[in-house]
Amino acid sequence: MFSKYIVKLAFGLYNSNRYNNTKKFFYDILENPNYNYKKIVDIFLIILILFSIVELIYGIKNSIPAWMHIFDYYIVTIIFGIEYLLRLWVHNDIHKIIIKEYETSQYLKSKFNFYATLLKALNEKWNYIKSPAAIIDLIAIIPFYREFRILRIFKLLRYTQSISQFIDVLKTKRFELMTLFLLLIFLIGTAGVAMYAVEGNINKNINSLFDAIYWALITTSTVGYGDISPVTTMGRIISMIVIINGLVLMAFATSVIVSAFLEKLGEIKDNRIIETINKEDKFVIICGYGQMVKMLLRQNNFENKYVILEKDPEITRQITKDGFNAITDDASRHDVLAKFNIQYADISLLCLGNNDVENIYITLNAKSLSKDIKVIARVSDQSMKKKFILAGADHIIIPNQTANIMLLTSINQPAVYSVLHALLAGKNAAYLDEIKVLSYDKLVGKSIGELEFKTKKLLLIGIQRQNNGGFIFNPSASTILEPNDILLIMGLKISVEHFVNTFQRGLE
Amino acid sequence: MKNKKHAWIFGYNQQSRSIAASLIAEHFTITIIENDEKKFQNALFDGYEHSMLLDVTEDLELEKLDIKQDDWILCLMSDEHLNVFLTLSLHSYCTCNKIIAISHSIYSTQKLKMAGANEVIDIYQVSANRIHNIFEKPIATKLIENFISTDHEISFKEFTIPKNSFLHGAVINEVDFNKFGLIFTGMIDRELGDEFIFAATNINHKLDSGDIIICIGKDEDLAKFEKYLHKDIV
Repeated sequence: MFSKYIVKLAFGLYNSNRYNNTKKFFYDILENPNYNYKKIVDIFLIILILFSIVELIYGIKNSIPAWMHIFDYYIVTIIFGIEYLLRLWVHNDIHKIIIKEYETSQYLKSKFNFYATLLKALNEKWNYIKSPAAIIDLIAIIPFYREFRILRIFKLLRYTQSISQFIDVLKTKRFELMTLFLLLIFLIGTAGVAMYAVEGNINKNINSLFDAIYWALITTSTVGYGDISPVTTMGRIISMIVIINGLVLMAFATSVIVSAFLEKLGEIKDNRIIETINKEDKFVIICGYGQMVKMLLRQNNFENKYVILEKDPEITRQITKDGFNAITDDASRHDVLAKFNIQYADISLLCLGNNDVENIYITLNAKSLSKDIKVIARVSDQSMKKKFILAGADHIIIPNQTANIMLLTSINQPAVYSVLHALLAGKNAAYLDEIKVLSYDKLVGKSIGELEFKTKKLLLIGIQRQNNGGFIFNPSASTILEPNDILLIMGLKISVEHFVNTFQRGLE
Repeated sequence: MKNKKHAWIFGYNQQSRSIAASLIAEHFTITIIENDEKKFQNALFDGYEHSMLLDVTEDLELEKLDIKQDDWILCLMSDEHLNVFLTLSLHSYCTCNKIIAISHSIYSTQKLKMAGANEVIDIYQVSANRIHNIFEKPIATKLIENFISTDHEISFKEFTIPKNSFLHGAVINEVDFNKFGLIFTGMIDRELGDEFIFAATNINHKLDSGDIIICIGKDEDLAKFEKYLHKDIV
């Protein structure tokens, strides 16, 4: 009976938009690195941690105001407690597990084992509770033992990327570091026991095996406090052996860590670039590098909100040398494009490599991730155009074809070529611009005739009308402007700017 | 039937193959010059009988070519260095001819212009401009793409004003192009030289025969206007 209500509740939660949206919101602000507001929450929690630590340190030798103590003891603890519970909540969906198990049992016509299902769902929560991050969070909540609160500093690990990256790098050399660690334990243990055997009864500073092992550790690390030192020749020989071994072990450990960093340095840099660009609402991913990309970026660097993906590390180095943002990665791989903030950002992908097969694969890869990614693809010739359109490319660039048309126009219609060239290059006299009619503009409700484009030294080429109104070429004088219309105007740049100032910025 | 014009295409590659085909469709006669035996054979194989194999670095060989004053010269060699060298060589003795070159980098573009090419089409610059415009002015770009695509509906067209046409002697501001469904974009006033004057500058020119006007319009309207322009010509 009880299980019946729980299953009903699970279905209720599953179908509740309000519940799902709320849970998604909390997931985003706590766990989704690509969500803009997460940064604000992180900063707020970091400030609380720092406040708590400063209060603790200050309170060691000074009396702290009561409000500060209350704030730290209750408010900060409650906030961390809520954060802990929210993280536990968003970690997984118990109701989904219950529904899945219930539907499976219905399908197989077997008995629905509610308690086993609940255990399974709770087990996932338990796995989260056991994770190092959750343990640190839990410790941060405990306020009863004042000195324990210094452990809140570990909570910063959640928000400090450098430390987590350092740990990730060390993980890659786990085997080597573990071997060195075991060797170190063996060396310290052996040296400690030897020293205790040789000087345990002679050296007044060595009173136990612990003292000898402490001495071995201090000597191996080459710190050498000097509180315990050998007094016999044999003791000194042991010291010498321990020091040499210590130096060798230190050198090994350093080289292992350095080599791990060197191996991972490129990856760390690339990840940083991706993380930085993922914070933007709108950015461009460029696949492939060549003359076209160089010219494009010199003309329009997209306010530096772009990244070039290049497979060949040598070429990536060259791109970086040329002063552009690049990472070594293969854009045709699903996981590579999935690293970008596809869910929230407005992404444009430029496939500008010179290989059609690769460009089409990247186009499909991007479109399979999200239909909203705008793809502009370079195509070698007209025969391939259809394939790219089928793959979902939003714009097709055929460099040879464009150049050929321009060349033929320059022969057959040289004057038209001058116009086209000026339009494409955005030259002053042939400045083709788009002006969007905003709902509060003076332009709304005005007829084309009233606006007297000719006297304003402008040419109105057409109007792009929203809501499937299409493009109205050369509209008649009686056409009335509506909100969200886009006027396509040609003229001198100053004439266009004057028009905008007059009708949109109210500077008449 | 249009007059036969002649074009000399230097270099036979994928690009020149497509340009040659388009020029023939526009009633041009063409001669292909290639210094590579294999590419020369490709040109012959593709049916260009007037193809020649010669060392384009030799001035004596180039001077032997029967290039007439009105012929077009297209420098399309795949090797950029050779293309610049060839442009310079041709410019030195074909001073009256119009030389058009294709460039594959900004550095070559400058060099080709310095070498004497009248028009240089930078293949990647044109494409980079288009991509830039897609981001900055998507609707304008769509229209420009329409102009330069082969399957357009709206296009640019230039008209040379014939003698005795209704435009001869008319003043620009008095002509109602709207009546023909066209937008007047600009003109070349032969009295003032060969420079293109954009309509946006709003200078009220008097039109004479021989002047060139450029209009934007739907293909059918442009065709009707052309017909009307030649109407009543004795």
